[in-house]
Amino acid sequence: MEPLIDVNCSPMECTSLSRSAPIWQDILAQAMTGELLAAMNYTSLSEICDDPAEVADALEHSECERGHAAVFAAEGRKIGVEVCNNVDAKHWKRLRDAFLRCITERDFIGCLIVQEIMLESFAVASYSRVGNVGPGSLGETFARIAAEEGEHVDHAMAILRAERARDAQRFDDKVYRLHLDVMTTLAQMLAKECKDGHCEVCHASCVKPSLFEVSLSAAELRGASLQQYLKTLDMLGIPGEVTLAWVAQLPV
Amino acid sequence: MGGSVASVAGERTIETDFALIGHQESWRAAADVLAVLRGPERTPLPDDEIKDILPWIPPRPVCHVDIGSVAGAKARGLYIDSFIPPDRLEAAYVHENIARVRKAAACAIQAGAKIVSLGGFSSILIEGNFDQLSERSDTVFTTGNTLTVAFIVQGIQKMCALEGRNLRRSTLLIVGATGDVGSGCVRCLAPLVTRVLLSARRVERLRKLAAELQDDGVQVEIATDLQRFSAEADVVICAASLASPSLLLGRIAPDAIVCDAGYPKNLSPTSEMLDAKVFFGGLGQITGGMKFAPDFHGVLNRHPFPDVVHGCLLEGMALALEHRFEPFSQGRGFITPERVDEIETIAARHGIYLAPLYNADGSFEDGLDARWNGREDESMGERPSRTVESSY
Repeated sequence: MEPLIDVNCSPMECTSLSRSAPIWQDILAQAMTGELLAAMNYTSLSEICDDPAEVADALEHSECERGHAAVFAAEGRKIGVEVCNNVDAKHWKRLRDAFLRCITERDFIGCLIVQEIMLESFAVASYSRVGNVGPGSLGETFARIAAEEGEHVDHAMAILRAERARDAQRFDDKVYRLHLDVMTTLAQMLAKECKDGHCEVCHASCVKPSLFEVSLSAAELRGASLQQYLKTLDMLGIPGEVTLAWVAQLPV
Repeated sequence: MGGSVASVAGERTIETDFALIGHQESWRAAADVLAVLRGPERTPLPDDEIKDILPWIPPRPVCHVDIGSVAGAKARGLYIDSFIPPDRLEAAYVHENIARVRKAAACAIQAGAKIVSLGGFSSILIEGNFDQLSERSDTVFTTGNTLTVAFIVQGIQKMCALEGRNLRRSTLLIVGATGDVGSGCVRCLAPLVTRVLLSARRVERLRKLAAELQDDGVQVEIATDLQRFSAEADVVICAASLASPSLLLGRIAPDAIVCDAGYPKNLSPTSEMLDAKVFFGGLGQITGGMKFAPDFHGVLNRHPFPDVVHGCLLEGMALALEHRFEPFSQGRGFITPERVDEIETIAARHGIYLAPLYNADGSFEDGLDARWNGREDESMGERPSRTVESSY
């Protein structure tokens, strides 16, 4: 449970958000953890890239994600809460492990699918929803980072489309294999209730039942994330009837 | 599932003759669709999860549909669901739902469908707004309403024959009379009955339709309120665009023949109609065979008889089998008896006939031929028994 980066958590005066501050604290903690995991993933990706331009690109992405994590921490400080992170929390660790398996296989395309198609779909959709309801700079920050993450997806999409054009069947099989691994974990994270114990990121009890207090819901975040994922798979050209079955088979 | 990725991805080069755009009329139906997609090895999703998840699903193909003609032709199509949630059909969601139908249409175009039928509310949303669909290239759209009208009219005639009624002595009430389907039924049936009662929400449209009929010598009465008619109807067609089964009929004969042609159904389950003979109208049966992949038989077509489909969807299938890729039904109020005859003839040529009549309690017609086409006289209740099986 050691924080990956040091955040200055000196308490500040609580603003009018104080009643909902513990909820935002957990939302920010999940977002910060996701950003740090993404930063670690891009750093790992840089280690299997042969092309110096790709190495630089991956490291730049890593720095960008680390910057997002710091911004989320800063948003926490503005409302007087310490935003912790835990990339070793059970779900996040499984997601990291899935990515590292692609690294071990030096599977650059697999890495992009996990990070850009699956994890970023989740980030873009959930940050956008939080951005819609978050007060003041907190909402603006989520909306801005959602837009930046969307640009990452656009960048990867061109590479992945070209890869699919080479061998659609092989590509779709790979996406499906990774879907079973990664999206099953994400679906468990996004379930309306955490049925298998504490997520190890929320600072106290599970934040999901309290989300309505900030005009959010776990069902909405899950729905938006799955919708974004399906739309991203559509953009790749994977048949809609196939991806529909994939998503329908996920755990709830 | 990995294998199915390969097979479906590999089929992308296969021509798509037709596409059917639809939505589920109830949460139960939606649950059944998702249960098929999840597969038998997974537990079905709980109802609350389905209600949470379905509204987020973007419009997309659900399955492939292969059909055959009794004349030997075959056609391949796609069923595309707009995933309009069953409880969001009301006017409050009209813009959201039009956007969904447009996206579903874009899926059909992307799949290269030559003709697209718009089922249920899809046609109601788009019937006057075809220009809102995506750039259509070689894809044409039909509401399918002409064949729906044909099957409603045939159903009324058949039910009259079954009950020994003389349609010519009847007072006909049409609820939703100024809609595309309602007005088509009016034009076909008005010359065959004694008196016509027209009901709809907009009085100006009612007056216009009544004037058209009166010019042809038809005895017409109009009302926006069903209780205001001066006479009781003994034949009723419910063709209103209602978001849920909520219609309560009043001022009808106790033993009236009632055709519920709505999707979703029009009649409220609480409506008490004594001895009225209520049947579900606008349905046809494709006797040359129909296959779904994955297998959605009895799920996408939830009827007690095999290969029964709504007329609006069958219109696109019939036109595909006929290789007539044209926008047969578009706009509102253009359905004429001549066009109904034409689509009936096309459909019949490929073995697409009026479906056996039934309602929630079961079938009306043990011992009747499924090929009833509504053109015979009222003595046809003597026809021999024939069971229709899929032969594709």
